[in-house]
Amino acid sequence: MKLYLSEGNPQCMKVLAAVELTGAKCDIHHAHPEERIVPTLSRPVLPVLQPSVGVHLFMPNAICRYLFELSGQEASSQTDQWLEWEATELQPALMQALHLSVLQAKRTEAAEALEGPLRFLEQSLSKKPTAFLTAETATVADIVLWGALYPILSDASFLPGDSQHVAAWFERVTALPACQAAAGSILNEKGGKAALRGFVQRQPVPHTQRRDAQPCS
Amino acid sequence: MALKELSSLEKALGFKKPNKYSTQGSSKTPVLQSNSGPPLCGLLTIATHLVREAQRPELLGVSAEQRAVVQQWLEYRATRLDGCPKEEVRSVLKDLNQHLEDKVYLAGDAFTLADMLMYYGIHHLMVGLSIQEKETYVNISRWFDHVQHYPGIRQHLPLVVVLRNRLYPSGQH
Repeated sequence: MKLYLSEGNPQCMKVLAAVELTGAKCDIHHAHPEERIVPTLSRPVLPVLQPSVGVHLFMPNAICRYLFELSGQEASSQTDQWLEWEATELQPALMQALHLSVLQAKRTEAAEALEGPLRFLEQSLSKKPTAFLTAETATVADIVLWGALYPILSDASFLPGDSQHVAAWFERVTALPACQAAAGSILNEKGGKAALRGFVQRQPVPHTQRRDAQPCS
Repeated sequence: MALKELSSLEKALGFKKPNKYSTQGSSKTPVLQSNSGPPLCGLLTIATHLVREAQRPELLGVSAEQRAVVQQWLEYRATRLDGCPKEEVRSVLKDLNQHLEDKVYLAGDAFTLADMLMYYGIHHLMVGLSIQEKETYVNISRWFDHVQHYPGIRQHLPLVVVLRNRLYPSGQH
């Protein structure tokens, strides 16, 4: 399997953490963000996993899900649900927050953009008896949400004071050696900050504002 | 929108009794209250659950790799196609068209849940395409026609006319 990643890209960090945690065997290639790896796509996209010749996986959550399945941890409806929430509810809010905080240094507005999704996560975690989102050990759901939130929540002062469950969960996931390694190589290396800035600049300006992600369970 | 789609999916999967759904939030995320366990939330999650319930696992892919490809196109549908701004539609259609160039269905030779949800999600765009545009996206048109004629899939949705023969020689538009 070949895996293509680039620095500063939180989606690549997710996938790298999944590789580290599951022990999947991949040849990792560092690609330029503008490099076109998937020949059928008109725009460059990363991360890309090539499980076999001619097959390209380029949706980050599908890649993470696949890596976990290879290690014998099949997705459940509960993990599916978190992955879908991350892709459809959290990501739009997050892209807006990253634009505001990384490019415009508007921290308060960035916090507002994320308020709904973070409140939802806090309420969900407060009702869970388990240490992680769906189990006592980290699953694909934890890795995907952690990777998405890391660029914002690694600044501990960002979380509102009443988010102690999110804070504790985030700390637990960040402490996993797989996540340490992934964050280290994608975002915390020298130049990682500038690369994150470049990543955010290349993303389309967020056009929708979704603030009312509500609790489900 | 999502609720109609889930109801079509239930019929296509042969459910005798329809499930009851509610929605939440401004994005009208569907919620399924199940008898066993916590409620399920989100179109892809519920659709995947329904396929498992109907004991049609082949629709999710028969190998780990095929399952990943199916999930990829479900994720693509939910994040790139749904709510796609007008100016981005062409780029989505172009990518899909390229992907389908050497494939019968999204995940290769086998019909899967990815085709079903992509069909329901793209139908309104196909209805709006001119004949010339359908020729530009000739692989999507071919795939779309296969799916709309697949037993039990189309249901209440209007049939979209797709020409089998080119009206215009290629390369002129």
